[in-house]
Amino acid sequence: MSATFNKRLMFVWLVLTAMTLAYIWLDRSADEDGVLNASTVVTVSAIVIALVKVRIIFREFMEVRHAPALLRRLTDAWVLIIGVCLLGSYFIGMAVSH
Amino acid sequence: MSTQTGSLASRFVWNFRHNPKRELWFAWWVIVVFYQLYGLLFFVVTRVQPPPSPGWDTPTVVQWFGDHHLGILAGFGVVFLITGMTAPINALLAYSMRRMSVSPIFGYSYLIIYSLSAVPGMLVMAIAMTVGALRPDRDPALIQWLYDFAFLSFSGTMGVFMIGSLVWMAAVLIDKNRVFPKWFGYLNLCNALTEVVVAPAWIFRRGVFAWNGAIAWWINMVVFVVYTAVFIVLLRKMIEREDFGTGELPDLPPKAQRKQSSSVGAVQ
Amino acid sequence: MTNLDTGTPPEQAERKPVRFIPGQPDMWAFVLFETLVFTSYFVVYLISRTQNRELYLQSQADLDLRFGVFNTVMLLFSSWAVARCVQASREGAYRDALRDAFLTIFFGVAFLVSKVLEWITEIRIGNTFTSNEFFQHYFFLTSIHCVHLLIGFVVLGVVVYQLWSPARRSQQLVETCATYWHTVDFLWVLIFALLYVVR
Repeated sequence: MSATFNKRLMFVWLVLTAMTLAYIWLDRSADEDGVLNASTVVTVSAIVIALVKVRIIFREFMEVRHAPALLRRLTDAWVLIIGVCLLGSYFIGMAVSH
Repeated sequence: MSTQTGSLASRFVWNFRHNPKRELWFAWWVIVVFYQLYGLLFFVVTRVQPPPSPGWDTPTVVQWFGDHHLGILAGFGVVFLITGMTAPINALLAYSMRRMSVSPIFGYSYLIIYSLSAVPGMLVMAIAMTVGALRPDRDPALIQWLYDFAFLSFSGTMGVFMIGSLVWMAAVLIDKNRVFPKWFGYLNLCNALTEVVVAPAWIFRRGVFAWNGAIAWWINMVVFVVYTAVFIVLLRKMIEREDFGTGELPDLPPKAQRKQSSSVGAVQ
Repeated sequence: MTNLDTGTPPEQAERKPVRFIPGQPDMWAFVLFETLVFTSYFVVYLISRTQNRELYLQSQADLDLRFGVFNTVMLLFSSWAVARCVQASREGAYRDALRDAFLTIFFGVAFLVSKVLEWITEIRIGNTFTSNEFFQHYFFLTSIHCVHLLIGFVVLGVVVYQLWSPARRSQQLVETCATYWHTVDFLWVLIFALLYVVR
């Protein structure tokens, strides 16, 4: 039993690390010769990837997978709330700034 | 003696004379009244909260004092009168720590910390503001000075409240008498952390870390209001559950039997 | 472990999963509340950023993504370690659990050291807390996160203390502390994306 848990945890860690490394690629894609450019695509992708990572951490590392429905729904709701707040503030801010 | 059948007035008198928890209830009601007054005086009458900007130039500051002249003098006049209400409040909070299984040191430390807290938390602002408003024809530079003095002392001295919150947090987490739920201990930590965030107000005259900033004031205030509302409710529950023992504080009986626990109700 | 379905024999565990809340539910209340507070800090950052994009982009160029990635990987390692610790302790393998707890601390320290090095690097090139808006947010978010990390070391200390002696070893407390530590990790995941990658 514990061997499967250990394997699963390692797999989760691998996925999370891979997603982290994906940021390097995302980061490079936004720049031209070291000059940073504003980019909605990069911003939204960065935030979405982060949210997915947070949910994975909730479900796997924090064991919400095994939790009662209330906690599972609460943590999912939280990921949604964070997403709405972050993306919302970015888009509203962009709209207001011009 | 069951006085459930008496009129409100006669029940009140009976409780006033015989209820063993009357001092606790008195202190609790002082908290409720005090915070209502504090909110009214600081936010509505004097309008020093939400704080005006540290980035204003001197003429604007003088103008602000002029606009709020009467409100400042009247409002802070009342503040001076009610400052003493903080005594039973802090006493009740310290009492909650004495009821816990932890060392009395916690309660005493809290009392000392918070007896100092009324100075920057209320009095310095009240004094500086009333001095500033008293003579509108005073040298504008002096008025600006008083303005800075008032707001910096009010916002910048969060250290006192932060340490107080940490003391209460530690007491709640170590306590074995279940006086407060553990999540309240953690909420104290949240409150302390948002108060740490006010420290940069000393450095910035503009932006989110200024004394009126989104981070240094607004978010901090939201957390503080939630925190205060929560501890007022929890203190009420504590008084209802109080058995004057030294062991675990018993839970309240289920709602059906609760009638006798109300603050104006009879006590066996 | 608040077990809502006790007495299920292991063979049936796959068919009818045992549902439990890891650690004290109180800690979960804290985690959710604190996450909201941090989210409000992030919202303030993003809104100020959109009002001043050029400044933020230029300043962001001074950040080294490698530090950010390294930090994130260190914390992911640490979360992995503390998750293993909880599993091991649940199965009674206390020596393994202790080793994992120490590993968690080790990775936490690696994060701290690299964070301080990063701050020193930034200050050397002239970027301080008061330099401009971007660096206000950068230093603020990384510092307040670091405070949570330092508290995390105290929390991990509690884990080690619990696991050390057979007289203690409260599984609920170990899980509670692990829950706190994971929060430090996922808050950093968000901070990293917002400070280093968002354009």
